[in-house]
Amino acid sequence: MAEQSNWSRVGEQPRDAVDREWEVFVRSETTDPLQHVGSVSAPTIEAARTQATALFGRYATDLWLCPAADVRRYSRTTIDERAVSIDPAKERDERGHSA
Amino acid sequence: MISISKLLCGLDAEGDGLRYDAAGESAKPQITDHKQRRPVVVWNLTKQCNLSCSHCYAAADTETADGELTTEEGRRVLDDLADYGVPVVLFSGGEPLVRDDLPELIEYADASGIRPVLSTNGTLVTPDIARELREAGLKYAGISVDGLPERNDAFRGRDGAFDAAVRGIRACLDAGLKTGLRYTITERNAADLPAVVALLHDEGVDRFCFYHLDYGGRGAGIVDADLSPEEKRAAVKQLCDLTRRYHDHDDEIETLLVGNYADAAYLVEYAREHLSEARAERIDDYLRRNGGDPTGERVADIDYQGNVHLTQFWQNYSLGNVRDRPFSALWDDESNPLLRALRSREQRLSGRCADCQYQNICRGASRLRALAVHDDPFAPDPQCYLREDEIAPTV
Repeated sequence: MAEQSNWSRVGEQPRDAVDREWEVFVRSETTDPLQHVGSVSAPTIEAARTQATALFGRYATDLWLCPAADVRRYSRTTIDERAVSIDPAKERDERGHSA
Repeated sequence: MISISKLLCGLDAEGDGLRYDAAGESAKPQITDHKQRRPVVVWNLTKQCNLSCSHCYAAADTETADGELTTEEGRRVLDDLADYGVPVVLFSGGEPLVRDDLPELIEYADASGIRPVLSTNGTLVTPDIARELREAGLKYAGISVDGLPERNDAFRGRDGAFDAAVRGIRACLDAGLKTGLRYTITERNAADLPAVVALLHDEGVDRFCFYHLDYGGRGAGIVDADLSPEEKRAAVKQLCDLTRRYHDHDDEIETLLVGNYADAAYLVEYAREHLSEARAERIDDYLRRNGGDPTGERVADIDYQGNVHLTQFWQNYSLGNVRDRPFSALWDDESNPLLRALRSREQRLSGRCADCQYQNICRGASRLRALAVHDDPFAPDPQCYLREDEIAPTV
């Protein structure tokens, strides 16, 4: 179960330095995996799309946007002081309990 | 950053090694002995500021923001920057002095081998604070003034801001800190420029950095306050003339331009007209080594929440966040197509930039202004003020 060890949930701290933050994902060719290419700040999804296509439209056949605040992040290397360690044993117990 | 005083007057300065790979020519201790390989990192420590400047790229606020990097997270970031070989960290804001841990972070950066420098509005700098910063290892304080008192105070949103900044400058100089002016040129304050230089030179300031307005943060909302390209050309000529006048009188001030690499081409043209062809060629050579607009290459920004930006002005786009991934990994990740394209932009620049004879020393100037005005990061900078006959390819 090594793959279940040493994970932390990155603290859900705001990243909206200027405006709402939107994570941007692009795919260049239909055979490529979707790639995270950063985030844009914009007040609305329409404004975020306009910004993201200005920056990445020429490289993409697919472009996805996701509110950064809705992304749940897990990491083995974060520097986030508010990250919460995941206890796999506890999670297993909770899964078993609810099953 | 383009040094007028170095290029037109031959001023020997500590940034020559970093900027022009010319450390060997200098008699002064250098920031580095070799050309810059890693970016200078601007770190906006906080969104909070005691002023409200109309051109603030960080859109700073009177209140602190949620999610600012903590002191410990800051140390971890500095560890990564030091390991990566970042030569300089510019602590900025908001107003960085509102954070109590600023001296601690400066000391940590200095001990890690990174040169710590500061961008401040100067109004919170007392003699005690200036001494504390110097003792922590601060190497330079850049203090922002944007015009003569009335104009500066209107721009900065507070009566008395000019006088408070000058008191801050005096405190820094008295503490033995190298201190310079930061001045963003707009149509509102271009006329004040020589008088502000004279006034601060009398106070003992000998380094003056002039910023072109970039269209990020609140700067994007005052585009109409930017100079026209013709006015911009006149302002830069005025700075060239002013620098030479001071040097002719043995006042070896250092003057620098930031934010519009059309200035690089203009300096070559200026030297050709006012100095000599040989001098113009020498300047062109320095500027080739400098490398043109630094977006995504020689300057980077980390905002107070840990988002990494292509420069401090690109606050609307982030490569990622240092809480998720180290800065060094984000900056090295050329699978990001925009980052890769900016670093090989010569093939992509369009319009009048495509065949410009100065493309290799300018590299299209501000990609952010191009994006803001044309929705295209590879379109021409709307603030290029070079004439068609100047940019025409030589045969």
